[in-house]
Amino acid sequence: MRTLLLIGIFAVVLPIACAPFPDGPLDTEETGPTNVNARLIVESVQILGQSSAKLSDPLRSELGQFAGKNFDQPLLERLADRIKQELHAPDVRMHVVKGDMPDHVIVNFEIGVEREKRFDLDLARFLYHSKQGWSGQGHATVNIHENAFSFGMVSDGDRLNERYAGIQAGFERRHVGTDRLQLRFDFASYHEQWNEATLAEAAPGDIYRTRTQFSPTATIVILEPLVVSFGVDFARYRLSLPVAKTESSNAVVSTLRYHQRWGSAGDEGEHDIRASYSVRAGTHFLESDPVFARHEATARYRFRRRHQDLSIGFLAGKISGLAPLFERFVLGNAETLRGWNKFDLDPLGASHLVHGSIDYVYRGFLVFYDTGAVWDRSEDREQKQSLGLGCKKSGFQLAVAFPVRTGVVSPVFYAGMNF
Amino acid sequence: MRMRTIKPWWVIAAFLSGLAFAMWAEELVLSTQEGHLEFAAPRVHFLVGKPLERLRNASEVPFVFKITLWSGTRTHILREVPARFVVSYDLWEEKFSVTKLVTPRRTARHLTDNAAEAWCLQEMSQDVTGISANEPLWARLEIRAEDTKESGLPFGRGNITDSGINLTSLIEIFSRPAATTQPHWTIETGPVTLDELRRGRRRG
Repeated sequence: MRTLLLIGIFAVVLPIACAPFPDGPLDTEETGPTNVNARLIVESVQILGQSSAKLSDPLRSELGQFAGKNFDQPLLERLADRIKQELHAPDVRMHVVKGDMPDHVIVNFEIGVEREKRFDLDLARFLYHSKQGWSGQGHATVNIHENAFSFGMVSDGDRLNERYAGIQAGFERRHVGTDRLQLRFDFASYHEQWNEATLAEAAPGDIYRTRTQFSPTATIVILEPLVVSFGVDFARYRLSLPVAKTESSNAVVSTLRYHQRWGSAGDEGEHDIRASYSVRAGTHFLESDPVFARHEATARYRFRRRHQDLSIGFLAGKISGLAPLFERFVLGNAETLRGWNKFDLDPLGASHLVHGSIDYVYRGFLVFYDTGAVWDRSEDREQKQSLGLGCKKSGFQLAVAFPVRTGVVSPVFYAGMNF
Repeated sequence: MRMRTIKPWWVIAAFLSGLAFAMWAEELVLSTQEGHLEFAAPRVHFLVGKPLERLRNASEVPFVFKITLWSGTRTHILREVPARFVVSYDLWEEKFSVTKLVTPRRTARHLTDNAAEAWCLQEMSQDVTGISANEPLWARLEIRAEDTKESGLPFGRGNITDSGINLTSLIEIFSRPAATTQPHWTIETGPVTLDELRRGRRRG
């Protein structure tokens, strides 16, 4: 009797236990992911498309880290956005398909073919500086079969000791036979405005009213992180003398650039190093009036991890000979010795320069420290320092900077983008 | 002068096509159960088209539902109840999962497409205790699929590059039609009284 009862219980319980999952709603209360595919494991992540080879190593290694982990749609969509941003691709689509193993999926990122933008507008720089006023630069570009024709306008009172305003035009051929060679022709025509401090210090033959520049350059990718540019820069400027006189500053220009990245912006952190060395030599061979050699070296190391962003910059330069004012070095603007006024440091610009800066950004909150010196004679060399704080997000920056000195504290305020 | 007459078969054809249209038109079906007003829309399918395409690509798709009830007159809104559901589609089981974003969350899994749609509507049922049995009621159901990727911010990611703000991208964003591209459905019914519903009369 007991055996029969047990058999009866088994007969009822066993089919219930072995029955397939019911095909109907199962109400549950939970706090897990809302996407049911979060339970699936990513078998592999693949990138499809012509420009996939151009993906940086940090991003490629980040992609590889997804294999073996649970499917996380928001994280993968953010990755698609980063691929799009890095490759400047018009579209990156994520396609998810069943993997070879059960409960596994393969994630394919499909990079859309870049549709050449026939017409493009760029606001390349925009800045308000409490001591130097407004600066702005914008371009319109027309692309025709890998040839880019650009036309722009600029008014900049920040970068040099003069305010230059005028037009810029350019032609660029991005592939000349090979991806490793680019050609560029730039033309600019400016009108100058001078600060009282500069006019008071300058000799009559130093100040010019207009400046026209033409600069053909070629860029060659030597090895992937190393790029060299070379060309010539023909400048003609009309002096502010009672008798109108035009001078030429024609220079051979050469720049060597290095850019390397490694790591990832996630837990590990992303490292980015950029360095360049450029030389501009004004020579009689090109019928230049001033003869000079201008050397400039820059380096920037950047480390990003989650919401933290640390940047350390270095800048050094030396001019031998007599260079025109637009070639001379300036400190005390929105990029260097922030907080100092460039006209207080050297209203004519200097022939020697050393500068270092540390910027730290946490969740958009920025603090920075700048130090540097400009001088013509070594006995005039005096190290200056400044501190500042503000906010920085997606190319926008708003900050207040204080020069470190005894006496009156006069902060400098600036706001803008891409400077 | 000869008078033109409407032939009888035209009348029959018009009547039949009207009837067919009425039969196949999207309808909101109301019923009452234990003091709750329940909704059904057997001819409305929102797990179709673009949303379904995204679901079959392992993405989750949020849907916003809104029930509007009028009582007495069509101008007196008795209640407006929005709710948010997130639907996903299991690539291996080939079944839908729906989560209602309330506290605490409610989830239904292993559903067919029709069952997933019905579950959402079932979750929209309304307590109608206190409403007079003879009071005329009107109801409207609105369903809208949301795109999680489009933030709608003018300075969204990708518009600011190393070379500054790309004005062309901004112009493209502002030229894009906003909500009209989102898949959406609206169905209404009424007037109907709770008495009529209890007697089993259905209105479409």
